[in-house]
Amino acid sequence: MAMKNFLLYVFKIFVLTFVLMFIMDKVYSYAFLQSNKRSKISFIYNSPPTNYDVVILGSSRANNHFVTKMFTDKGLKTFNFGMQGSKLFESDLVLKLLLEKKNKIKNVIIDVDVTLKSENKSDGTFLKFLPYFDDSYVIKEHFKELDDFNSFYYIPFYRYLKFDSKIGFREMFFSVLNKKGNEIDNGGYSSLSENSGNLNTEVLDYQPHRNRYYEEIKKICKKNNINLIAIMTPMCEKAIVNDYFKKVNQLYPEIYNYENIVTEDKYFSSCGHMNDMGAKVFTAKILNDFFSYECD
Amino acid sequence: MFFNSLAFAIFLPIVFFLYWFVFNKNKNTQNTLLIIASYYFYSCWDWRFLFLLVFSTFLDYFTGIQIEKSNSEKGRKFWFWLSISVNLGFLGIFKYYNFFASSFAEMFTSFGFKVSPFLLNVILPVGISFYTFHGLSYVIDIYYKRIKAEYNFIDYSLFVSYFPLLVAGPIERATHLLPELKEKREFNLEKAKEGVYQIVWGLVKKVVIADTCAVYANAIFDHYPSMNSFSLIMGAIYFAFQIYGDFSGYSDIALGVSKLFGLDLLRNFNYPYFSRDIAEFWRRWHISLSSWFRDYLYIPLGGSKGGLWMKIRNTFIIFIVSGFWHGANWTYIVWGFINAVYFLPLLLSNSNRNNMDSIILKWNLDSVKVLFSILTTFLLTCIAWVFFRARTITDAILYLKRMFTNGEFSPQYLNNERYNYELLLMIGLFVLVEWNNKTKVEPISGKRSWLKMALAIMAIIAFGTYSDYKEFIYFQF
Repeated sequence: MAMKNFLLYVFKIFVLTFVLMFIMDKVYSYAFLQSNKRSKISFIYNSPPTNYDVVILGSSRANNHFVTKMFTDKGLKTFNFGMQGSKLFESDLVLKLLLEKKNKIKNVIIDVDVTLKSENKSDGTFLKFLPYFDDSYVIKEHFKELDDFNSFYYIPFYRYLKFDSKIGFREMFFSVLNKKGNEIDNGGYSSLSENSGNLNTEVLDYQPHRNRYYEEIKKICKKNNINLIAIMTPMCEKAIVNDYFKKVNQLYPEIYNYENIVTEDKYFSSCGHMNDMGAKVFTAKILNDFFSYECD
Repeated sequence: MFFNSLAFAIFLPIVFFLYWFVFNKNKNTQNTLLIIASYYFYSCWDWRFLFLLVFSTFLDYFTGIQIEKSNSEKGRKFWFWLSISVNLGFLGIFKYYNFFASSFAEMFTSFGFKVSPFLLNVILPVGISFYTFHGLSYVIDIYYKRIKAEYNFIDYSLFVSYFPLLVAGPIERATHLLPELKEKREFNLEKAKEGVYQIVWGLVKKVVIADTCAVYANAIFDHYPSMNSFSLIMGAIYFAFQIYGDFSGYSDIALGVSKLFGLDLLRNFNYPYFSRDIAEFWRRWHISLSSWFRDYLYIPLGGSKGGLWMKIRNTFIIFIVSGFWHGANWTYIVWGFINAVYFLPLLLSNSNRNNMDSIILKWNLDSVKVLFSILTTFLLTCIAWVFFRARTITDAILYLKRMFTNGEFSPQYLNNERYNYELLLMIGLFVLVEWNNKTKVEPISGKRSWLKMALAIMAIIAFGTYSDYKEFIYFQF
């Protein structure tokens, strides 16, 4: 009898835990719908639809290289959705999400170079989509092939528990307060400081591959009549590229190669990332090459 | 397999089920199952070290019997010293050899001799300090005829390798645990529920308090040269709560798990941060180790029976040895030394046993004094913890120097993308909960236990740190 009572007691604790996780999952998910200032994903998800002239996608090499203000100064409604560590898996999802939220886009600039090597998710970036997992059809569909999909889908609160440092209580609390994060400052562009004089060499010793997410981005742009501008952005002079960029062009001839447009060390923060000065030189070139007509 | 891991969450119910439903025939079947479970639990870290555990168990079992059987004092001494030297030999080789070899090499180098020490490429077997001390206390107690030798190998093996206490204590005594293992355990609902309360509260301490504080403490300690005074003070406080939550949380889970099997282990923590002086702190912190050193080192050395210098010598010896027990690093030795220095004024004024009563606060001046003494003791402890946490003594000294001289007390943004003050509210709440329940083992039991259980589970879910997983600190000792 004592054992039966104990097993019942433990069962009740499990039920209580499950109920609490279910309630908290709903509370957290609701809270993340309250702010559009915490991250680029919350900005897309919780902002009213916008007509964009230019949307910038990609990794940190997009985030740190395209100066949004220079676009907007030319009268182009622009936002830089490039994210640190993001891969084409996330860039594809950002584009899908923008369209799901009824945004209108004329041009997409996407940084496609070193990200071509992988079709995996980016651990640091994909989790930012998770609070909207239940609410968004495209996120759910996009994540269906992930190993953790069933855990995210069927275990309430699992996603918040697993990535507590990024989407846990603190982030939820700040979303409720609508406290501004720094990701959406400067139209999403994040500038880097100058290097201290000793740039480390970066070696590209891998091969580019055909990438399903890039292919998907191309299809989406075509279907929605969006002008896609795929670009390989600059690397420093010391970079040992092993013809990587040429190989990318053999795979995808439509990708513009801007690898050598800016090369001097003074324009770089690290070998793969330009500083603010380099980004401005580079952005000016892009504006001139692709938007001079629209600007005129 | 850690107490806060999924593997343990599967392991524990399986063992619980087998223990009460399949192996419940008599105490031998119960003990046999617990041994199998314990060896499996231990082998999850590194099965090779299982041989060391089994050998150590067999050695102490065998020498214990031989000591008892020996007719001559010479024979008793032989078996006694054989056990002591082999046990300490293992500990010395695995834990301290490299430290001594490199320390001697550094010393010779400072005298101008170039020495390349021969270092062992071995990892420290998990829990070696704990199970060695179990065995040592058993053999010493037999030698001094405090207990009889245990002839049932199963019972003795379980005493040494019982999985809840195997890797991080509490350090049990044969006089306490062995009699429990000699009886068949009957299931007791109230005891099992107490166990669940203690496990849940232990998890709160580990994943909510310790692991969250660790994120901030690491960000501050790892970048201390760029931190301001306020951050460095917070860093020391965060580490104090990290190590308390970590170790006492582990002990709570160990005690709770044990209660599920009908066994009571020694209490290891008794709200140490509410101590009014450093002597009281050491009666409340890692109680099983402090009492071990008292009984097996301090008293054999003469304790407080000799003259003043004898007392001082013995005090410094046990604190320094206690520091060294934690790890083969000078920082632990200095940590022990600092605690001995803190203890010295109490010893000299014969007031080290002043605060034996429980703390009761009222609205009067005496209570203000009590609060002041609690706060002072906590701050002194935090300063000592800096040495425990720092990588080197130089780091610790520079940390403290900067803490006292920087003079900036503004909020600072840390490397973990958090502000230095962000955990203050959580720690304040935790202290309040502990203070209000300081007469109990844990705060969940009693009136409205379901509500308190729900709050504790909610805290574990919402405020726990999972993405930045931390091992229990005391596993390395």
